[in-house]
Amino acid sequence: MTYNKPIPTRGTHTVPFWEGAKEGKLMLPRCQDCNRVHWYPRFICPHCHSTNLEWVEASGEGKIHTYAVQHLVFGPWEPEAPYVTAYIDLNEGDRMLTVLRGVDPQKPEEIKIGARVKVEFEQANEDTYIPFWRVIEE
Amino acid sequence: MPGQLYKSAAIVGAAEANEIGFLAEPKTSLELHIEAIKNLSNQTGVPISKIEGVFSTGWSSELCEHLGIKPKYIDTTAVGGCSFEMHVHHAMAAIHSGIIDIALVTHGENGFSARKIGGRGTGNYGRGAGVASPAAEMSMAYGLGSAPSNYAHAMVRHMHRYGTTTEDYAHIAKVTRDWATLNPRAAMYSKEKHPFGGPISVAQVEDSRLIAWPLTILHCCMVADHGGAVLIASPKVAAGLNTKPVWLAGAGESMGHANMLEMEDFTATSASRSAEAAYTMAGMGPGEMELAMIYDSFTITAAITAEMLGLAAPGEGHTLWKDGHAAPGGRLPINTNGGGLSFNHSGMYGMPLLIEAYRQLSGTAEDGVHGDVGKQTSARTCIVNGTGGALSTTGTLVLVADD
Repeated sequence: MTYNKPIPTRGTHTVPFWEGAKEGKLMLPRCQDCNRVHWYPRFICPHCHSTNLEWVEASGEGKIHTYAVQHLVFGPWEPEAPYVTAYIDLNEGDRMLTVLRGVDPQKPEEIKIGARVKVEFEQANEDTYIPFWRVIEE
Repeated sequence: MPGQLYKSAAIVGAAEANEIGFLAEPKTSLELHIEAIKNLSNQTGVPISKIEGVFSTGWSSELCEHLGIKPKYIDTTAVGGCSFEMHVHHAMAAIHSGIIDIALVTHGENGFSARKIGGRGTGNYGRGAGVASPAAEMSMAYGLGSAPSNYAHAMVRHMHRYGTTTEDYAHIAKVTRDWATLNPRAAMYSKEKHPFGGPISVAQVEDSRLIAWPLTILHCCMVADHGGAVLIASPKVAAGLNTKPVWLAGAGESMGHANMLEMEDFTATSASRSAEAAYTMAGMGPGEMELAMIYDSFTITAAITAEMLGLAAPGEGHTLWKDGHAAPGGRLPINTNGGGLSFNHSGMYGMPLLIEAYRQLSGTAEDGVHGDVGKQTSARTCIVNGTGGALSTTGTLVLVADD
């Protein structure tokens, strides 16, 4: 089936991220001076303002920081509603946005902040694999 | 010790467009601006030609051209709904430094009419994203859209951290509606004015349609038409006018993030910092505030902001409404116009906050047009806080009535 959701418009400095995604790797920008990762990808380290940045492969694991259930939706995501959006605390630090998988949007009270999640990639077109996060069964 | 800008300027008038709310005949944002500016000039007796500084979200040069004026100070700060509180802060500095004596802060936004004729006109705000923004690149795949889709995440985190419930926040919507029923200009004033207007119960808020769980539609502000303007003047100019001055005692601004992806703590905003700056400048604290005008884009916004302003302890912001303190007759009235939830919200709500604060502290909140009996409070001090973006940016003012 053709992927029918918005596909990210790529910037000039995020090539390693999307190349990694093709191979099922979650790549994060890390500062070689202060060793901290950050998200979203910057042209400068937001922690120490070094421009000495590199891309590293992350564990692809994290925890739910917070979430919501989207009911009133317009556009390509409308047929999926309701669905759960969430912010994920990465094990390496900083946070990503996702549409959360492996949860029931009709039972939002059962979703646990702090629950462990793992990244997976869905192919959107020939070049683009989009990361989504799924709750890991404990 | 109050700061240098303490009472360096006053709001000397506040006016709105001729008609606001859900306009039957659509108007453009520019039209709403001009109506408000004309009404402000009539109210204060200050000719439009005497305006020296113009402050608006991205609009200022077009407005000056339309009005045929050549200002000495131009400001287009456009960082969301709190921009107007920041404009006042900037106008104070410009007046204090002697560059100008009279500043116009103005707003026009056809949030509702735009559905028919386009041109929402929120200045540059919201147009900074796109291909060049890595934050947009890493967010656009994930089905977030309008403001509630973002703000719901803050409510869930607040509930998790403090044990608050949707019912706690529902009281904010209910009490704010009670205020709207005292304001004939409020979109939700009565059933006659709007089919969904008039008083509401906590249960109705809880049971209304889900927009983004846990936000039901009655936890969310409306999107209507509004135009408004305030005039800021130096003490010298203020002394020569017939309108009552409301003094600018303190001002501050700050931001946490532009994208919610970068919101470090979903239960806190930069209002703690902008309020600290405003209180310090005013030489006053939260205990001395007798009225609060708080941007209530959503019930959760009002609750968190009350905490950030020091009006309630962390996790207890909602109790101001739930326990009746914020309600008509309460010890700390909040959002006496009916708020963005029930008065009017055009997309950026900072201007209505300023207008109502001016009316309350100048004793004109109950003139038969702007309020029914019971809306005018006895407050002599007011804290005003705008929040912009996705709980991103904040501007805070401390206002005091004339002696």
